[in-house]
Amino acid sequence: MAGSIVVLGEHRDGQLKKISWEAIGLARKLSAELGKEVCLALVGSDIAELAREVSGRSGLEVVALANDRCRHYTPEAYCEVLAGYTRTDDPYLLLLGHTYQTMDFAPKLATMLDRGLVPNCVDYRSTDGQLLWVRQVFNGKLNLEVSPKGDPPYLVSLQQGAFPASDEDLNVSPRVEHRQAVVAEGVLRRKLLEVMEAVHTRVDLSQAEIIVAGGRGLGSKEKFQLILDLASALGAGVGASRPVTDGGWLPKEHQIGSSGQTVTPRLYIACGISGAIQHLVGMSNAGCIVAINKDPYAPIFQVADYGIVGDVFQVVPKLIEIAREMRS
Amino acid sequence: MRILTCLKQVPERDSRYKLSQDGSRILEEDLVFETNESDLYALEEALRLKERFGGEVAALSLGPDRISKVLRNALAMGADRAIHLKGEAFERGDAWGTARAIAAAVASQELDLVLTGVQSEDMAFAQTGAVLAQMLGWPCATIVMEIAFEAHSGTIQVKRELESNVFERVELPLPAVLTIQSGSHPIRYATLRGIMQAKRKEYRVLTAPDLGLSAETVGEAAAKVTHHRLLAPERKKQTVMIEGGAEEAARTLMDKLVNEIGAI
Repeated sequence: MAGSIVVLGEHRDGQLKKISWEAIGLARKLSAELGKEVCLALVGSDIAELAREVSGRSGLEVVALANDRCRHYTPEAYCEVLAGYTRTDDPYLLLLGHTYQTMDFAPKLATMLDRGLVPNCVDYRSTDGQLLWVRQVFNGKLNLEVSPKGDPPYLVSLQQGAFPASDEDLNVSPRVEHRQAVVAEGVLRRKLLEVMEAVHTRVDLSQAEIIVAGGRGLGSKEKFQLILDLASALGAGVGASRPVTDGGWLPKEHQIGSSGQTVTPRLYIACGISGAIQHLVGMSNAGCIVAINKDPYAPIFQVADYGIVGDVFQVVPKLIEIAREMRS
Repeated sequence: MRILTCLKQVPERDSRYKLSQDGSRILEEDLVFETNESDLYALEEALRLKERFGGEVAALSLGPDRISKVLRNALAMGADRAIHLKGEAFERGDAWGTARAIAAAVASQELDLVLTGVQSEDMAFAQTGAVLAQMLGWPCATIVMEIAFEAHSGTIQVKRELESNVFERVELPLPAVLTIQSGSHPIRYATLRGIMQAKRKEYRVLTAPDLGLSAETVGEAAAKVTHHRLLAPERKKQTVMIEGGAEEAARTLMDKLVNEIGAI
């Protein structure tokens, strides 16, 4: 409906993603502040049941945009459906989760609509009826306030975990509008060949009480041994940020963050990890976070309970020594 | 295969930022710049494709004089020629304003593939590649981890990251735009020989008028997003900073973890 706030729901295996519940939470809040209606749009093929369930649970009207060509995600089919929907319904704001899927199709959608996309927002401010969105820039060391130019619709994606999810079950009778979406065959050029799940990870860090994790600051595979030694002295699991697994210093299964595991140990010791957003989303809910880094401005210190600004090669050997003393 | 790789220059990862009085921009005076890391992964993929299938790799960057360092390094790593999009008109663009300029440069060449990194470390909009593809009318795949090419088919197959632990293989007709995820293959270093050879390679500077672009169609003037101000992030926690030398700091930390919060 014209002038409304629309959450574009992302789903897999018949489930709405957590980030979409977070977007619903924010949409409700904005709705109260701006006096605008909220609804949720879903794209897919067999989405009637999901649409009913989400509507009943959230109390929102759900627009189910169904087309067989959207059985599996492709950017071209999704953009065709969503551009058509946006042109007819003329919403004020499209809210998405900043996920890999959104990163793949939303810039295309925005360009088709001749609009910009404000991605990966962590907060917002409302001034004179205008929304200013807050994003992390410069490797998380600064925030930037931005606003989309021109007329609605505005496209905004939200960082995962930045806004509280609205997943309380309201248990109301569902309001679903089913629409048969149109996707011309000619627009489909990227062809899906197969979807693969990574072989079930042998390193399950989700149950670890303590995790010692190392990052780029370790410098090499040989030097990463220090992290393994501290982990063994503390009886901890071993984690890593992306540069470590990219560099082959440790198998991919140890990666923590948006491309890896999400962990909530009692204690997380981050050594030589700067704290890129992609890493923080995987560990910022740990009970106690310790950061050791030589850069006092590293964003990891923004989420740390205890911080040591120092050289990991000086501090970590001491920690190993003390941990071993304590054990014996 | 004729490939163009887009590379961006960004401040070094360990930079400390100072802001202008009004908070609208960072002060560049004391900053050291380097090539955005995921763009180097894109260049590495381009060079590997050239080694296997022949062809040519061009490197493109946009910005003031200082970005010649990015392009010289790309030439030294093995790119065949460099395109420097330069001039006030191109500056301070968002993904849209920058993609417009690149699209004009791409239109004047015969290319099979354009590669970029997934996102920049400074602005992190993560969309220049996908916006560029749409402007060119080319298919696109983002967050690509592997590229396979069969010369006879005129298509490429790529493995891309769909979400955590889920991947897909997709096929695209050429020409296409791919954004490359970090970690695909280790980034090569420029050799001394490469550095010497780079000096003799083509280095072209193109301005907006050279590309037939009027100033209001690119850069800041064409941006779809307004930047208001930069500010220091709010701390999410009260971090207890532990001072002292390595030994003292390590002892204090362990004492707190064991005795104060019982985490160990």
